[in-house]
Amino acid sequence: MKQTFTQAMAWLHTWAGLIIGWLLFAVFLTGTLAVFDAEIDHWMQPEIHSTPVSQLDAAQRALSYLGDHHADAKSWGISLPTERSPGLTVSTGDRRSGTRVELDPASGAVIQPRETAGGSFFFRFHFTLNLPRTFGVWLVGGLALVMLATLVSGIIIHKKFFKEFFTFRPGKGQRSWLDFHNASAVLMLPFHFMIAYTGLVIFLLMYMPAAVDSLFKGDTQAYAKAAGNARQETPRGDGGRGQPALPANLTDLAPVFAEAEQRMGPLAGLTVLNPGTSAMRLQVRPVLGNRIELSKGLNMEFDGVSGKLLKDVTPSRASLLTQKVMAGLHFAQFGGYPLRWLYFVCGLLSCAMIASGLVLFCVKRRRKLADKPVHVQRWHRVAEVLNITSIAGLSIACVGLLWANRLLPVALEQRAGHETTLFFVLWTTSLVHASLLPTLQAWRQQLASAAVLCLLLPVLGLFGPGHDLQRLYLELAAVGIGLLLLVAIRRIDRKVAQAGSAAVNAKVLGAKS
Amino acid sequence: MIAGWIASGLLLAYGAMVALCLGLDRHYRQVWGIAATLGRYRLLRGVGWLGLSVSLLCMVAAWGWAMGPVAWIGALSVAGLVLTLALPWWPRMAVASAIGGPLLSSAVALAWVLG
Amino acid sequence: MTPSLAVLSRCLAALLGGYALTYAVIAALARALPTDPVDAVIIASLPAFVVYTAAILWAFASRSALRAWVPVPVLGLPLALFAFWPQLLERLA
Repeated sequence: MKQTFTQAMAWLHTWAGLIIGWLLFAVFLTGTLAVFDAEIDHWMQPEIHSTPVSQLDAAQRALSYLGDHHADAKSWGISLPTERSPGLTVSTGDRRSGTRVELDPASGAVIQPRETAGGSFFFRFHFTLNLPRTFGVWLVGGLALVMLATLVSGIIIHKKFFKEFFTFRPGKGQRSWLDFHNASAVLMLPFHFMIAYTGLVIFLLMYMPAAVDSLFKGDTQAYAKAAGNARQETPRGDGGRGQPALPANLTDLAPVFAEAEQRMGPLAGLTVLNPGTSAMRLQVRPVLGNRIELSKGLNMEFDGVSGKLLKDVTPSRASLLTQKVMAGLHFAQFGGYPLRWLYFVCGLLSCAMIASGLVLFCVKRRRKLADKPVHVQRWHRVAEVLNITSIAGLSIACVGLLWANRLLPVALEQRAGHETTLFFVLWTTSLVHASLLPTLQAWRQQLASAAVLCLLLPVLGLFGPGHDLQRLYLELAAVGIGLLLLVAIRRIDRKVAQAGSAAVNAKVLGAKS
Repeated sequence: MIAGWIASGLLLAYGAMVALCLGLDRHYRQVWGIAATLGRYRLLRGVGWLGLSVSLLCMVAAWGWAMGPVAWIGALSVAGLVLTLALPWWPRMAVASAIGGPLLSSAVALAWVLG
Repeated sequence: MTPSLAVLSRCLAALLGGYALTYAVIAALARALPTDPVDAVIIASLPAFVVYTAAILWAFASRSALRAWVPVPVLGLPLALFAFWPQLLERLA
């Protein structure tokens, strides 16, 4: 390939961008939705009410329930009501295999919220594409890496970087698509680099174990121990030194919560180890996001009987802190709702950037292809169909998940599985639909379907159980997105009308001459 | 109060982007129909950079020095894109909206000083 | 070399060769850093994706599809030797 550096980079940007584009759009769309995963969880379980109950009261009710029903358990878990998740959940045993029960924070009574895939579906889909975990994480990592190469090659080939910083010329077909792709890519460049790189840093040592291999001979346990990340041992269930544990009462929680909040910020939950015995321990954990540094696993440990602080939060060493801050920048749990909305908007704009690139690829080639051989036209058709499916089709599937949540019967067995099945059925239907119809028509119909589902979401919410302000915000956001989709549809209509009148003009001119 | 700083930061970011944009010949012509002197372009760009700095201070006032810069960069990107999309259709209004930033931030700063 | 083979060669050089090269660079960097091993692991690993991205760009910018592979043995091998020499010595002893 004898070409200049810029030509090589243009080739790389086009083809790498196309190949990763379809899946990358899915990663970005579900990631954007996952910013509000707890809020989507809340919307999808309307049986849970948000009541203004203090965390202390909620904890007391949880403890009395656990004391009545699970007095013999080795450990109790309590997820306290927080700003984002107003529910109260108790659990016993292992995180994964133990039982979880939802309680009403105001009364302590058991609630049976509908089983749902929840916002967590979007979160998991975002970094695994719903594939087996390790394979999915590697695939998404590969997409992020090639995205970095695509970003750099895009900068290299964009000659008028500063001159065209604010340039957008609508209504000019291919030129407009390129303008929008450039503008959204350049103006959001810091976000793009940050989100791609920090996403990779989350699984840093999994993707690149080279340093652990060379310095720790590949022994990840040894590394974890040296880093102070080794799994904490559960304290012995006896009174120490082999003596049987005596029954004991739990200490007053108020000073414990106060001290924990002062050190770590708003609290998310607590774990009681060896409840009801003299070996009782309390592990209190904060809400993720009181600082940028990702604080998963962070907790303070108190003696359960005396309330004395046993283990304070240890500040991370600088290198680990850097990695956790980078991970935290990706997880976007910090800064409260204003920052969360900023990440959401940036995420949507990134989706638009990717989508515009994919559409630009096809728009560029539509005109040139009339005289090309059939097999080339066929590949172009494949690209057009995949564009529609991955952009419009996925959008339908995502909002369709929320519709499935409210329309499927509550008592259905394996309800969460059925919700996700419907998600994939919708997506597959979009693929079939896009294959059968002409391109513009398929775009129009699928975007219109997504718009209708978004705009009518408040109707679903208002006529269903458990409506509150937090759920209303979600519905209003959906309406906003629906309105944007309507704008897109209007522009397609205008383009079709233009093309139609151009064809008529051509006929008239042809007839005259 | 924090909401005031955030809103100020956002609007100032937008206003600063307007100033920087008008400091480019092609966009000055796009909005006003005529070109300006080199001195005026430099002045506009200077005002723009100043606006960006004050916007950063507002974000830091709202969130501190760790999260503030993160929010600021995000605000710049979104403000820039909003301006870019608004310019072709509503050029005069897009530019006129730039006044919101200085107005609100002055009010918030005054409230902060007096309060 | 047919065009398709050339493209394939560059893609493999970018993804597989790039990974191998990055692996060697990071391992060598970790060995070279004078800090505590835990710190060295993180500090050396964080730039991994900058290196990998550069390797991908090289694979497509290089003048021929064969040249795309050059950094892997030329840079990668010595760096890997440097990174893993204690383990190699153990094996040989």
